[in-house]
Amino acid sequence: MVTKLPVIAALTAQDILVASEPTWLQQWRQAAWQHVNESATPLWRRTDLTAYAFADMEFTANASASQLGSAIPAGVVVMPLSQAVQEHGELVKAHLGSAVASNASKYAALNAATWRDGWFVYVPKNHEATLPLHLVLGFGAANTIVARNLIVLERGAQLSLIEQFAGDGGPFAVVASELILGDGATLKYVSMQTWGAKIHHMGHQVAKVGNDATIVWTAVNTGAAHQHVDAETNLVGNGSRVDWMAATVAGDGQRLLTAPWLRHVGRATEAHMDFKTVVKGSGYATFDGMIKIEGGSTDTITRLEEHALHLSPQARSDSIPGLKIDTNNVQKAGHASTSGEVDDEQLFYMQARGIPKFDAVHMIVMGFFESVLDRIPLDTLREQVTADIAARI
Amino acid sequence: MELVIRDLHANIGDKEILKGVNLTVTPGTIHAIMGPNGSGKSTLSNTIMGHPAYTVTQGEVWYKGQNVLELPVDERAKLGLFLAFQYPVSIPGVTVANFLRAAINAHRSVAGKDTRETAIPMAQYRKDIREKMAALGVDDGFARRYLNDGFSGGEKKRIEILQMSMLKPSMAIMDETDSGLDIDALKVVSQGVNALLSQNPEMGVLVITHYQRLLNYIKPDRVSVMMEGRIVREGGPELALELEERGYDFIREEVFGNGN
Repeated sequence: MVTKLPVIAALTAQDILVASEPTWLQQWRQAAWQHVNESATPLWRRTDLTAYAFADMEFTANASASQLGSAIPAGVVVMPLSQAVQEHGELVKAHLGSAVASNASKYAALNAATWRDGWFVYVPKNHEATLPLHLVLGFGAANTIVARNLIVLERGAQLSLIEQFAGDGGPFAVVASELILGDGATLKYVSMQTWGAKIHHMGHQVAKVGNDATIVWTAVNTGAAHQHVDAETNLVGNGSRVDWMAATVAGDGQRLLTAPWLRHVGRATEAHMDFKTVVKGSGYATFDGMIKIEGGSTDTITRLEEHALHLSPQARSDSIPGLKIDTNNVQKAGHASTSGEVDDEQLFYMQARGIPKFDAVHMIVMGFFESVLDRIPLDTLREQVTADIAARI
Repeated sequence: MELVIRDLHANIGDKEILKGVNLTVTPGTIHAIMGPNGSGKSTLSNTIMGHPAYTVTQGEVWYKGQNVLELPVDERAKLGLFLAFQYPVSIPGVTVANFLRAAINAHRSVAGKDTRETAIPMAQYRKDIREKMAALGVDDGFARRYLNDGFSGGEKKRIEILQMSMLKPSMAIMDETDSGLDIDALKVVSQGVNALLSQNPEMGVLVITHYQRLLNYIKPDRVSVMMEGRIVREGGPELALELEERGYDFIREEVFGNGN
């Protein structure tokens, strides 16, 4: 007997609260819920929001279906965020919402108001976690997962983290990831959207990077029917850096959008972005990016590359890169972009060595992604994802 | 087996570049094609191999009992044809070692047989590539580098010859292999080709070059001169020397007359 769950559109301000949570968090949820109800539906021209209708999204208090894909690295606190609220209340209070603002969008607000799932990861000051941590999020009882991951690295801490959305179910995922890097911290962050083919994925990811801290961010997007991800690196600290790569594969019926924002705020900040996309069949991928160099940011180095390969005539990719500079002290700013079919000269060269066309295309595409996939720190996971992509090309 | 080119016409777009090429390359010989820039030399080599930018409008290219123009590019390679490119492309993300192994395994593959059965054993492959790289003075590290990615002109040409010596074609076409090479690199590359020839005496080689210089190191048995999309003169090695001395103009005058 299946119990009918309420949908988000039918919830009241009381329904979203968790009785055991402290007052500050209840108030925080209420404020976010107010924003959900008062804010307009975003005008996202390339994302069809009827695929994310509140009237279709079921809500349940115990939706959790998350698990760990690895052991917990020694010295690192890893637990469900709801448990951390009880056990590390002050830390959660200090950081929750500090990266992904509840008023960033209606969906960010929805996540803040109604999250029940997600992880808390805390690396203490100067602690260097050596083994990678693998968080896996999946669907449980409801057709909707609202998950929030809060990742905090104190000053000088180091962590290699994989955050993976995997499996079937749903179809609605509304997720937020907050990544807070203290001064001198280093986070290697691999975010993998490898959902089943029917999922609608709405994500907010924001990294706040302290003085001389570095985030090495690798995004892999291969699953879902729809994806809308607002991803932001906020180089707040002086000397902060991001090395940001992405591999996106949109095949038949998939519409995958990533909107990366890069903010240079501190002095002498450095960013390298390299986003790679392959579209096939009726697949459609969008890169809707913005680099913003704020007034106080001097000696900035920023470089954006985006490349798209089209494996079929119907496949489509849009690229809308933006650059806004409010300082006159930029050291280097560069942009390169390509889009098109697999290069005829490369194909001819490989075929001239006896490699059949099908295999040649395959090798070229896998080579295209090599530098991105190479950054997945767990061998089995890397091989699995590589094989999955290879099978789909 | 001979490579026989009969009345070959080829276009790039609407422009006819090859205007009836007739040529026979005999196994076990080195056959040089010389000609000024724009005479159609590179078009000839690309057309034989099947470059998609060129359209054959007339003619045949026979090798081992097949009109190779009817075969896909990779089948031409498996038949034993090899093109050493004038401008080898880079393929980021694909290492020299992986690329060459895929090429060798493609050559070894047999229709209807599992490729795992026909593939070259890893240990043998590693030994082969190491030996061949050492012989060509290519550093070990190149095996792990992405193919031609950031390679110098000389490095690219050495890798072309490395591929040739690993794939052991029966008919090799070398398209302006000397271009962009300094004299030391030219010697190394030529030694590589000559070593391969001494191991495979039945190999035919079609050497396409603008200058006689390369032919000091890879000695031709036959020399054909190409102009305006046709072979206009054939002779022995002495023809190359004569061209070196007198340039192409005297042949142009003989073939097309003074007013051309």
